[in-house]
Amino acid sequence: MSHSHEDHERTMSTDVRTTRRLSSVRSSLTTAGLAVTAMIGLSACASNAPQDTWQPAGENAQKIHDLQWPVFTVAGIVGVIVLVFIGVIVFRFRDKGQAIPEQTHGKAWLEYLFIAIPAVILAAIAIPTVGVVLALAETDDTECIINVTGQQWWWEYDYEVEPDGSICGFAPSAGEASPIITSGQVVIPAGTNVLLRGTSRDVIHSYWIPRLNGKRDMVPGRVHYLRLQSDTPGIYAGQCTEFCGLSHANMRMETVVLAPADFQRWLDNELEPYQSPAEGTLAKEGEATYITQCARCHQVNGLVDDKGTDDTSDDTVVVSYPDQFVFSGAAPNLTNLMGRNTFAGASWDLLTPECREDVWEASPEEFGEKYLAGVTEDCLNDIDLREWLRNAPAKKPMYADAELLEPTDGKTRGMPYLALSEDQIDQLIAYLLERK
Amino acid sequence: MAIIERPSDTVALAPSGAPAVATPDTSYGVFRRPVHTTGWKSWLFTIDHKKLGIMYGVTAMVFFIIGGVEALLIRLQLAGPNGTVLNADQYNQMFTMHATTMVFLFVMPMAAAFANYMVPLQIGARDVAFPRINAFGYWAYLFGGLLLNSSWFLGGAADGGWFMYAPNSSVVFSPTNGVDFWGLGLQITGIASLTGAINLIVTVINMRAPGMSLMKMPIFTWMVMVVQFLLLFAMPVITVALFMLMFQRSFDATFFSVEAGADPLLWQHLFWIFGHPEVYIIVLPSFGIVSEILPVFSKKPLFGYPLVVFSGAAIGLVGWGVWAHHMFASGLGPISVAVFSVATMAIAIPTGVKIVNWTLTMWGGKIAFTVPMLYAVGVIVQFTIGGLSGVTHSVAPSDTQQTDTYYIVAHFHYVIFGGAVLGLFAGLYYWWPKMFGKMLNERLGKWNFWLTIVGMNLTFGPMHVIGLQGQPRRMYVWTENRAGEGFFNIGFWNLMATIGSFVLTLGVLVFLINIYVSHRKGTEKAPLDPWDARSLEWITANPPKEHNFDRLPTVGHLDEFFHRKYEDRGEGERHDYHQVATAEEILAAEEASADKHIHLPSPSYWPILLAFSLPIMGYGVIYNLYLLAGGALLALVSMYGWGMEPHTAPSDDYDPPKGTELEVAAHG
Repeated sequence: MSHSHEDHERTMSTDVRTTRRLSSVRSSLTTAGLAVTAMIGLSACASNAPQDTWQPAGENAQKIHDLQWPVFTVAGIVGVIVLVFIGVIVFRFRDKGQAIPEQTHGKAWLEYLFIAIPAVILAAIAIPTVGVVLALAETDDTECIINVTGQQWWWEYDYEVEPDGSICGFAPSAGEASPIITSGQVVIPAGTNVLLRGTSRDVIHSYWIPRLNGKRDMVPGRVHYLRLQSDTPGIYAGQCTEFCGLSHANMRMETVVLAPADFQRWLDNELEPYQSPAEGTLAKEGEATYITQCARCHQVNGLVDDKGTDDTSDDTVVVSYPDQFVFSGAAPNLTNLMGRNTFAGASWDLLTPECREDVWEASPEEFGEKYLAGVTEDCLNDIDLREWLRNAPAKKPMYADAELLEPTDGKTRGMPYLALSEDQIDQLIAYLLERK
Repeated sequence: MAIIERPSDTVALAPSGAPAVATPDTSYGVFRRPVHTTGWKSWLFTIDHKKLGIMYGVTAMVFFIIGGVEALLIRLQLAGPNGTVLNADQYNQMFTMHATTMVFLFVMPMAAAFANYMVPLQIGARDVAFPRINAFGYWAYLFGGLLLNSSWFLGGAADGGWFMYAPNSSVVFSPTNGVDFWGLGLQITGIASLTGAINLIVTVINMRAPGMSLMKMPIFTWMVMVVQFLLLFAMPVITVALFMLMFQRSFDATFFSVEAGADPLLWQHLFWIFGHPEVYIIVLPSFGIVSEILPVFSKKPLFGYPLVVFSGAAIGLVGWGVWAHHMFASGLGPISVAVFSVATMAIAIPTGVKIVNWTLTMWGGKIAFTVPMLYAVGVIVQFTIGGLSGVTHSVAPSDTQQTDTYYIVAHFHYVIFGGAVLGLFAGLYYWWPKMFGKMLNERLGKWNFWLTIVGMNLTFGPMHVIGLQGQPRRMYVWTENRAGEGFFNIGFWNLMATIGSFVLTLGVLVFLINIYVSHRKGTEKAPLDPWDARSLEWITANPPKEHNFDRLPTVGHLDEFFHRKYEDRGEGERHDYHQVATAEEILAAEEASADKHIHLPSPSYWPILLAFSLPIMGYGVIYNLYLLAGGALLALVSMYGWGMEPHTAPSDDYDPPKGTELEVAAHG
């Protein structure tokens, strides 16, 4: 008798305890839900990391974001529920000297329930996922195609001339268009559906501008497409995300979005004919140095070698032939180097930190003006550029061991050490400063 | 060892119940078998699954430390911007070898250690089905691992990442021999996995104790069997891929040469068709361990045992249909991406089942928080986090933002460290008394556990933030330009991760100290049944005798040992469990009715010799084809010897126990 009485009491107190616990579980769940939401909110606004995957700045990234934040939230809430549940269990059922529990092997309905719940949640996630996958593969609405080619360790951009004579939907203000080849930064017009058509010249690279879209591998022998679009002028940073060898960390890219009028100015500037530096300047000496030291690999469009004489009959157009020296067969086109503000695979800035901040932090309205100003002498990041010209492989690892170039027939991967004198470097910098 | 005969019940048994084992004396013949039972030779030529299990474990632990040092160097390099601890080349080798070492030389072999040691004990068998192949597997693993790591001293280790994507793995892009060592080393350890898989499958299917139907089999053995099937089908794929890589690099084949018309995505498909099942190969043994430990310390059977078995098998099966989720950014095309995305979500369901069943196993239990139990609960918590971050990137578009960033690094470390490695530690603490007859210290164990948990969360937790802020993986430096400011800035969290990695190191050090402390002279022997365990391996001595069981047990229940110890005297709905026997009494009963004839195979010279021919051939491929031929010759000779040696050492190699009928039989 007394035995069953005790049992009864135990059940009673268990009930009370359970109610109390359940309410505390409920309140901790509410807190946890709030915490998850707060975390997500915080992560979306507390940072200005340029590659933040939670700050979409274009349609495509927005589509991904609209899909991912509910998934993160649901995952977070499920996680908190499970963890709180485990917490409650390990507290409530710890060994307090209770009897050995029933040796039950499970309850079928409970097990089916816990199969059904995740199945329903996942089905709810799966349907919009498939929708976004298909939407991001759409190419019919393309307004501008830009070819992008990866190689160790930089990206080349090639703006083709469309059959109607336009580039990226813009006709040049004067004269005929010719293909534009750049590197480091890809310039696109705001509000335009751009399609990158990408491949690689050596190993697999991956193109990723987090604020504009997810990443897409660029594979040698294959052509892959990636949509880019933004309404907001500015610079959007990205980085190669497929391991591509020694200097993978130093292979970056930036997408520059310009308002249509500014894009027109950029385009016209790119198409302007080559202007040789004035006679007798340091830059003119730099031109000669450039021809002897750099022009084998780096093309400057329209550059003419006048052989140092006034006689124009022996002038030759300088065409680079990087395929004989570089394994990937390409080197960045330097025609308008100072029109962009990074170099060496967008690894270093051509602008000093202050000038860089001025451009990067500019409002969308002011951005175009500041970007198109290019790199001025005052703003030039002399330090990194000089280090680079002095010994490029020391600054950005290019090939692990020069003695191991046999498999590539002596061709380098990346820019070799050129043994330039300080005078030559001065001349080259003066020359390059005019390339914009 | 060899033949242990008990001619009559009148033979006086030692007080511990040890049978009178014949002592080796002489051996004759070209193809004689070794008979050493003590000293280093007894380890070198052993084919005892328990010795091999310990050897697997010790070797894996050494590689764990090597892989850990590599990880520490990586974290030191990334502690601040523009790190200078390593250069780009060294860094690339470091992360390649860290992953390779941890996956192939630590987690898999550590699981193999438990599988080797525990599966025969759990199913009531005296050894595995093919003991010599078992020994060969261990030596192939060791030699493969040594070959792989010898690259550090022979011109540099592999630098292409553990996934070794083509064409970056070809000679022009990776001119040192590192990738050759990598491919050949993995090829050799792969042979170990493959032979081990066949061996354990045959063992589990054919050698279970009387009465042990498949659905009465301990859950760890079940998970091990699922893993062996995964290995059986996954290893051939990587074997083919590695052979192609070898021919590409050493013999000018063009499997991955784009200029010859090859598609580099071929390698990715081959690698991940192996690589994704590999994820489950890594994690399922730990799931098995956790599923053993939770019932023991909750004093309840595993909740929904059949469902846990089926979900394990379902994970194994569906695991074959999700490989391309590693390739969402590869440019597969939208239909493939959508299909693999949905399949990946589907695999979350059986995985979720496990977590639910684990928690419900504890519900209503009588939970004792020993160190193995802490680790098991740690697995549930940490794996849940890893599983949920996994769901976020089953959403393919979302994955294109996360893949190849630190968010993925965070995810798979929660899965592999939180799921697999914590589970292995749980197993070490749980089975230590079984394997060595001594307890690991509980107090140090708790320090070990909490340092590990705090360390791992501090190391891998921040990587979620770093990754979502856009820091890619495999970068030897990061710059402040891309770090951002505020609470979620990359710099702060990189530093936190580095600090965390040192806390984690401290945790591992405490484990090593614990081993030392527990094995000092005079430390008490472990009780026979320290955890009040439930499964068959606890029915025998600690550590088990050479022949595991004096009498092969007969099984009537899923938790056989529990049901031998306890009896339910309740009526109807009420349960009232009374202890009816202690472990000591059960063991004594087993010993008293020991089997009359216990046959164990003798040790053998050939497994280690055959395994030794493999690295010789490996070096031959890299350096000199004559060496390759020499290695092949040794392999042939070893196989011949293997085939010709007698099943057991002849009985006159042994001195039979004095005063037994056997003595008469042998000499008469």
